[in-house]
Amino acid sequence: MANISTRFFGLNLNSPVIAASSSMTGHSEQVLKLAEAGAGAIVLKSIFEEEIYHELEEELSLRDGLHSDPEYLDYFDYVIKDENIKKYLKLISETKARTTVPIVASVNCVSSSDWVLFARKIEEAGADALELNMFITPSDVAKSSENNEQFYFETIENVLQVVKIPVSIKISHYFSNLSGMVKKLADTGIAGITIFNRFYSPDIDIQSEHVTVADVLSTPDDYLLPLKWTGILSGQVKVDLAATSGIHTAETAVKFLLSGASAVQIASVIYKEGPSAITTMNQGISDWMDQKGYKTIDDFKGSLSLAATSVQAWERTQFMKYFGEKVI
Amino acid sequence: MKGFCNPINSTEMSTNKEYLQIERNQEWRAELRKKIANKDRTAKIRVKMPEMEPEVRIKYQDREVNTGLTEAMAQSEASRCLDCANPTCIEGCPVSINIPKFVKYIELGSFLEAAKTLKETSALPAVCGRVCPQEKQCEATCFYTVKLQKDPVAIGHLERFAADYERESGFMSVPEVAPSNGIKVAAVGSGPASLSFAGDMIKLGYDVTVFEALHEIGGVLKYGIPEFRLPNKIVDVELDNLQKMGVKFVRNFIVGKTASFEDLKEEGFEAFFVASGAGLPRFMNIPGENFNGILSSNEYLTRVNLMNAASDEFDTPIIKGKNVAVIGGGNTAMDSVRTAKRLGAERAIIIYRRSRVEMPARVEEVHHAEEEGIEFINLANPIEYFADEKGKVNRMRVQRMGLGEPDASGRRRPIVLEGSEFDIPVDLVVVAVGVSPNPLIPSEVKELKVSKWGTIEVNEETMQSSIPEMFAGGDIVRGGATVILAMGDGRKAAASMHEYLQEKR
Repeated sequence: MANISTRFFGLNLNSPVIAASSSMTGHSEQVLKLAEAGAGAIVLKSIFEEEIYHELEEELSLRDGLHSDPEYLDYFDYVIKDENIKKYLKLISETKARTTVPIVASVNCVSSSDWVLFARKIEEAGADALELNMFITPSDVAKSSENNEQFYFETIENVLQVVKIPVSIKISHYFSNLSGMVKKLADTGIAGITIFNRFYSPDIDIQSEHVTVADVLSTPDDYLLPLKWTGILSGQVKVDLAATSGIHTAETAVKFLLSGASAVQIASVIYKEGPSAITTMNQGISDWMDQKGYKTIDDFKGSLSLAATSVQAWERTQFMKYFGEKVI
Repeated sequence: MKGFCNPINSTEMSTNKEYLQIERNQEWRAELRKKIANKDRTAKIRVKMPEMEPEVRIKYQDREVNTGLTEAMAQSEASRCLDCANPTCIEGCPVSINIPKFVKYIELGSFLEAAKTLKETSALPAVCGRVCPQEKQCEATCFYTVKLQKDPVAIGHLERFAADYERESGFMSVPEVAPSNGIKVAAVGSGPASLSFAGDMIKLGYDVTVFEALHEIGGVLKYGIPEFRLPNKIVDVELDNLQKMGVKFVRNFIVGKTASFEDLKEEGFEAFFVASGAGLPRFMNIPGENFNGILSSNEYLTRVNLMNAASDEFDTPIIKGKNVAVIGGGNTAMDSVRTAKRLGAERAIIIYRRSRVEMPARVEEVHHAEEEGIEFINLANPIEYFADEKGKVNRMRVQRMGLGEPDASGRRRPIVLEGSEFDIPVDLVVVAVGVSPNPLIPSEVKELKVSKWGTIEVNEETMQSSIPEMFAGGDIVRGGATVILAMGDGRKAAASMHEYLQEKR
């Protein structure tokens, strides 16, 4: 078997296949199964500040019948957050105690003080690295793009000030100049960037005429957007990149490594096939490397990136001649 | 007063419209109504409770702020009551006191009868007259509030007046008690829920024992509420009354440790009322919270209220800070900050993350605190503490908050204002952000159904838990309750337990 070790999150990983943050990585037993299957690292389910708030809302509405003292309702402001953090820290310490595979904590907060608070506690609990699951849906017409971007830099700066463990970020593609933004982010001192966040998407049921929830799992075709940007960005930014969305096979994973990613994060395929999807992917990458005569990932990583090939191949935006020659 | 020894009957009667009408039609009340025209009654201004001057009272931990109404003030205030045909005020009282009846007795000058009326349904009238949030209960449903949009009749002040008058008169009445039925029941904890339960059960003829873990009876009334709001001697008189009725109190006895429920059953106890409260302090778990000089409001208030830490004659240690910050906006926070002021703080500050409008503390307590020079930093939240080289807190960092949309409790949600952090020098911090239910009984009795927050789950109508012979109420069920809501639970549990035990026979 070829040497498929790599480096991401500022850590040496035995495999470039990382179990991405998902509900499967929220339970220690599941995490252990993913570790045993050969994951290079495991990103624990994100702790969301917004989720904590929704839990608070639910609890407050349940207390109506008991005519609770408002002082007690205030108590929930604190206790629900506290209990959620405690539960998360327990997950970190439990999984750390039972596996040598790197455990990466993941947080998503709204306020900078909570990013800092959560980051500190996560480091104390023994996580190997931290992934900041960052996004602002740019839906506020009153906000400027600078405004939105500033949030990323301030949060990163605040978190880096308080923790020593490597900090990576996971971002969306919603930036007016994605390349420029990623370059600036890479210069902040973070250990890695994962592209792109996969969001909840609304859909519409035309029969009932209701807004519904789109399928949450990725499909194998979803990899093209992150692949394009991995190819464009790698070699241009001084930070390790990982990709996520639509990576269901070893072949797709290899494409990302060729485009310059150091690792891939997968979730949907594990939902569909179970932890063995990781083993299969590791084996597939290794087989391909053997077939091609590569000894290590560094032997071919980024060999097909924009920096190593041509701008034309990666940055062409319109189909033009391609469709011009097609006849129906 | 015949027939009132049965609390079940008294509850039913005091809310039964027909019965209330019969009471209202009694000659003395009909005569009294005729004496003053309603327009003259409603033209009167609500009485103002006399208070000790702020600059004087902050020197004493054990002197009451409110000094009580005079007889003339009480009678004048009582005459504002219209003795409504439909007394909506009673609907706002969790223990169903026959409010118009006791108020009219005061107007008549029959103060002892007024006190007796209170005791028909309340085991702790002098306590309730001091600490109940009447503005959210009986006074909120008073005709003046609801229909006239005027200041309600000062029911709370009048309740206190009647109870105090009786105590000071030397003619304390002891409510009638039914002949003993020989059935042993126990209450766990001796706070307001248990005392109310014990009062009703003893009236029904049960053999009632109240088990208390501490060396003092009274629960939160003794360790939680400072003497400047509720003097211990007032609580003691009410306890004495219960004792005279036959309630037994056992101190230094931890049910679940000293003896299990099984042990107590073997001793003949047939049913239990668990009101073990919420005595487990919570902290915010922010950086630096373990430094010396940062303590919970439970610890701070218990040391002062129950262990005489404010007095130099006692050896109980307490930090007497000069710059004291109290975190929280409830009554416990107010009690803590005002205690700190009385112990010599030069700067005593409330730090609360919502605005004044959302503060859970009683308006009266906030007003008293302001008079006493308490500083309020609203819309601010602590995020970190710092200490000197000896590990003693000397500074705290807070961030400014704004207000967002209302949450499910109807109060606007606090939202962090980024980049708004500032530091405050402190040498004592009291954290009053709430308490968790006492975990002992839920962890001891495995079959007991408990919520994820550690509260005992009960049928809200009967207060019966998942174990048929075990009833529960107060903070161990609600998580946080006012004294009067806890007392209401005690009464409800007594009625249900009585029915349960009678059906079993």
